[in-house]
Formats: sequence, C-alpha cells, structure tokens
Amino acid sequence: MSGPSAGPRVRLRDVAKRFGDVSALEDVTLDIDDGEFVTLLGPSGCGKTTLLRIVAGFERPSAGQVLLGGHDVTKVPPHRRPVNMVFQRPTLFPHLDVAANVAFGPRIDGLSKTEIGQRVDEALALVRLDGFQPRRSHELSGGQMQRVALARAIVNRPQVLLLDEPLSALDLKIRLEMEVELRRLHREIGGTFIYVTHDQREALALSDRVVVFNEGRIEQIGTPNEVYRRPASPFVARFVGDANVIPVDVEPADDGAAEVTVGGHRFRTPASDVSGPAWLVLRPEVVGVSAPSDDRALRGVVRDLSFRGTGHSYRVAVEGLGDPVKAEVSGGSVIDLGFTVDLTWDPGACRVLPRDPGED
Amino acid sequence: MQGRRAPVPTAITIAALLFLFVPLAIVVLFSFNSTGSLTFPFAGFSTRWYHQIIESVAFRDAVVNSAFVGAVVALSTLVLGTLAAYGLTRASTRLRTPIAVLLFLPLTLPGLFLGLSLLVLFSRVEVNLSLGTVMIAHMVYVLPYYLLIAVAALQRLDPALEEAGADLGANAWLVFRRVTLPQVWPVLLAAALLAFALSFDEFIITFFVIGPDSTLPLFIFSTLRRTVDPSVNAISSLLLVITLALFAIAFVLTLRGSRTSGLSIETEPIGSAAR
Repeated sequence: MSGPSAGPRVRLRDVAKRFGDVSALEDVTLDIDDGEFVTLLGPSGCGKTTLLRIVAGFERPSAGQVLLGGHDVTKVPPHRRPVNMVFQRPTLFPHLDVAANVAFGPRIDGLSKTEIGQRVDEALALVRLDGFQPRRSHELSGGQMQRVALARAIVNRPQVLLLDEPLSALDLKIRLEMEVELRRLHREIGGTFIYVTHDQREALALSDRVVVFNEGRIEQIGTPNEVYRRPASPFVARFVGDANVIPVDVEPADDGAAEVTVGGHRFRTPASDVSGPAWLVLRPEVVGVSAPSDDRALRGVVRDLSFRGTGHSYRVAVEGLGDPVKAEVSGGSVIDLGFTVDLTWDPGACRVLPRDPGED
Repeated sequence: MQGRRAPVPTAITIAALLFLFVPLAIVVLFSFNSTGSLTFPFAGFSTRWYHQIIESVAFRDAVVNSAFVGAVVALSTLVLGTLAAYGLTRASTRLRTPIAVLLFLPLTLPGLFLGLSLLVLFSRVEVNLSLGTVMIAHMVYVLPYYLLIAVAALQRLDPALEEAGADLGANAWLVFRRVTLPQVWPVLLAAALLAFALSFDEFIITFFVIGPDSTLPLFIFSTLRRTVDPSVNAISSLLLVITLALFAIAFVLTLRGSRTSGLSIETEPIGSAAR
C-alpha cells in the first residue's frame, strides 16, 4: 500500500486555514520523512489539531497544499486518504465488539474473511490486547479503548498514523505506560506518526522531531534536544520545559564573543549574532547556587526552596529583575530561605535571543 | 428533606388526573356493559359490543384503511424524515435554518387550516380525493413530529464517531449505514411508530381530504352521528389499546437506543446534578 517513494512522506506547503474571520493557521510549511515520529506541540488553540485534521481530510485548507507520498491530496476526501487517525476521545463504535471495530477498515477495503481475521489478531497483538476480540467498548478501560482505537487505525497499514492527543483523557500512570507502548509500536511497525499534544513532556519523550506552534504559526522545528537546548524564541523556551527568560543587553566584543549585561552583572558568551536588547534563556538546571564569593556574580536572596527528590529547587530574587530566577541544584548543601547567594552558570549553556526594545 | 406533601397541590393533581382519566375509564367500562344504556347503573359484563363491531363490514374496512394509511405514512416518513433529519443536522448550507423552519411549520398550523388548504390544493391540481390524498395529507402533518425526534437523536450522536468511520475508509453512505444508523435506528423506529399512531387516529385533516372511503376515526364519528351507539365504546377502547401499545413500544425502543449507543440521554435522577 505504501511503497517507498522519493521525497518526504508528508509535505505541507504554505497551508493556511481561516474559520470566518479567525485565522487558525498561517503559512505552515513542513516536511515529514518516512518513518518519522513528529509531534505538533503547542497550547490549546494554536492550530495544531486543525493541521492534523487537514492532513486527515476533515478540514479543507483555505490555502496551500497537502501532499502524501508525493501526491497532492488537498482535495481528496478523508475516506480516500491513506492515513488513519486516533482521536482524543475514545471513538469506538458502541454497537460493535472489539474485533468488529478493528475489522471496520479492512471490511470496507473488501479483504477476505481469513485475511481480516488474521490482520485483526495481528493488530490486537501489537497493542497487547490478544483475547479482547469479543469484548464490547463499555467493558474496556480508557487505556484499553485507546489501544483498540490504535489497533483499528494501524490494521489498515496507513501511510501516516495521526494521533490527536490520544492520551490526554487518561490517568497519569496509564499515560506513562501508553507512551512506552507508543514508542515500541513506532519501532515495531516503522510507520510515520504525527502526534498532536499540548504536553511538552510527552512531546520530548516520544518524538524524533518536535514542531512547536503558537497562534497558528510554526515557532520552531527541531529534535527534542534542539528545541530544549536551543529554543528559537522566548515562547518556545517558556513552553518547552522550565526556563528563566531574562531581559538583558548584549554588546559584541572584539574576539567575536559577546558581552551580556544582566541586572548589573556582566559575563561573556562564546558567540552570539545578537546585539542590543536580548533575552537570556537559562534552564533552571544550568544555574548554580552558592554562598557569595565573587563580587561580579549575579547576586540574590533565596525566596523559595523546595525538595525535588534529586535535589532542591530554588527561587532567587535578584534586584533589578522582575521574576525570581529559578535554579535546580542536585546534591550539595542546602542554602536556607533569606540567605544571599551567588548565581552562576556555564556561559555555553545559556541562550541569547533577540528582543524588541521595550519588550520585557 | 422528606417533608409532608402539600395538601393543596396534591388535591389539584389528583383532581386533574381524575378529570383526564375517568372519562377514559368510563368508556372502557361501558364497552363491556351488557345493555345498550350509557348511564349507570352498570347492568352486567358482556362482550357483545365487541362481537357486534367485529362482525361489522364497515368497521373492518375502516380499520384496514386506517392501518394501510398509517403503514404507508409511517414507512414513507421513516425514509423521507430520516433523510431530512440527516440533512438538517449534517449539511453546512446556509439554507439549513430556513429549510428547518419550513419543515417544522405544520406543527404550528391548525388542523382545520391544513385540511382546508390541502383540499384546495387537491381540487386545484384535479386529484381525486381518496386514501392516497389522505396519505399525502398525513405525511405533511406527521413529518414535523418525526423530525423533532430524529433530529434530536442525530444531534446527540458524537460527530467524532462518523469522522472515525470516514477516516477508516467509509464513504458517506457507508458511514450512514454502518456507523450512524446502528446507533439511532431504535429511536427512528420509535418515531415511525409514533407517526403511525398519529396517522391512525387523525380526524380533522382526514375529514377534509378523504373521498368515498372511511378511516376508523371517521367511522366512529359517522356511527355517533346516526345514533348513540354503545359499540362506539368498544371501538374507542380498541383504539385506546392500540395507541397505548404503539407508544409503549416506541418508549422501550427509545430507551434501548439511548442505552446501547453513543447517544446520551440523561438518565440521572433530577436533582443529582445539583450536588
């Protein structure tokens, strides 16, 4: 069904979608390779689900093109697209048992009875629900329902599997289990997965690549590592993982490095193409907290302290900065509330992003 | 709080129920009276009026006519009404609201008006009055009731179920047959039974557009007009039983439909939501 073809499996070209006067998506261009696990990540209302529904065919884009395996499917209705979807809510057909639910697609494709039976058993085995064939959907737990929905989708051997926040209705424990299952499933069937979520932890844990959306636009595309370590915008920095985003000023130095001024403290970063007003992005785990020793360090007072299992999480109020600086320190001795501390970090581990003057 | 029942509302309720149901009870009672008297005292139990009407050819013809008209009306309403309800709940056209208004309009029209206007129409286009014209008139009258139920059932269905069907390769017709219909058929069948019941005892509109034939309500009316015939009690009782049975079946089907499917009729007791 899905023979290998040159080029990306999914190609979105300048896709836009308007609902009346409201623009849900603007100029989205994205290529997804065969076998990739790509996550569309963003807050609710950012357009990620709309994009998934455009790939599925439930929504027609207002502009742009959708290509699947090199074919333009922009105007192809959902039932003729070689993609299958797992919905946010369980959408098992209540009048059918598990086996008949999974067999729904193959039956429409007109496969022989024996082949349908074989495929259904195979798909149920893949989602670890052997023996559940005769059950009804009301006899299943939420997690089992979503597994059946997964089986019902993959049994059709889709070119692309679309997952619309399939775990969001589940309890945390089941959700973590299902994440492991999804990764295993992706390895075993080797298909192309597009996964929509608003949960950055899920996105980082599952995907080969993350596409971060904000207000209908792509903010950044990258591996989880890139998105986390080198966020392209303050939005991404704040949305993916925890971050201190601090307004700073940057002056280029002679040796190609840059001099960053933050709250009266100056330090050098290896290189930066930014100068003038900027954002300094500091992940809490790269910030060190120590007793005052260096007068040139950024100095503050511990305002909050909480135990985090592997260490402690501090909030340090620094004069001249609006928000307290978050720091996560593993091990070491505990510095109590009210004490003055020095904040230190490896200049290579921080990120500097351009800032419009006046924005902070 | 388990307070004592307020006496005045209780009395009013009981009086209202008596007012509604005592006449029915009296009709049923006197249908088993052994004499022709329609007044007390009750003379004794007999089924002679039932025998009498069942032996009457005019009665049997009227029943057959009513059943035939009812069946045709129910079946065609089932088909047309389901299509209309599906269109009203799924189509994205701007004409949806005006079309809905037009389809529901007969609900608000007096039967007298509906009957008269249909009579004028039929004579204009020179169609002979017959059971056929009765069927057409009844469909106009019954369709909005059917739509009320069918539209509600289709609206309650989770649209994601139909999307899932389309996603799995089903075209619009297959989605309807394999996803939508299995969820809503008990409710649609119940609505068709109601359509049958409404047609079966419809009088006013029928009176205008019927030709030489007779339906059961018209037969009762003409029997009464001639004399006060006690067999009318037996006929009315039979009509009552048939109608009640139809409504009971429809009710069971509706419950069944809401239990086995993706429909969600609130079955929680009133007041539990307040907690």
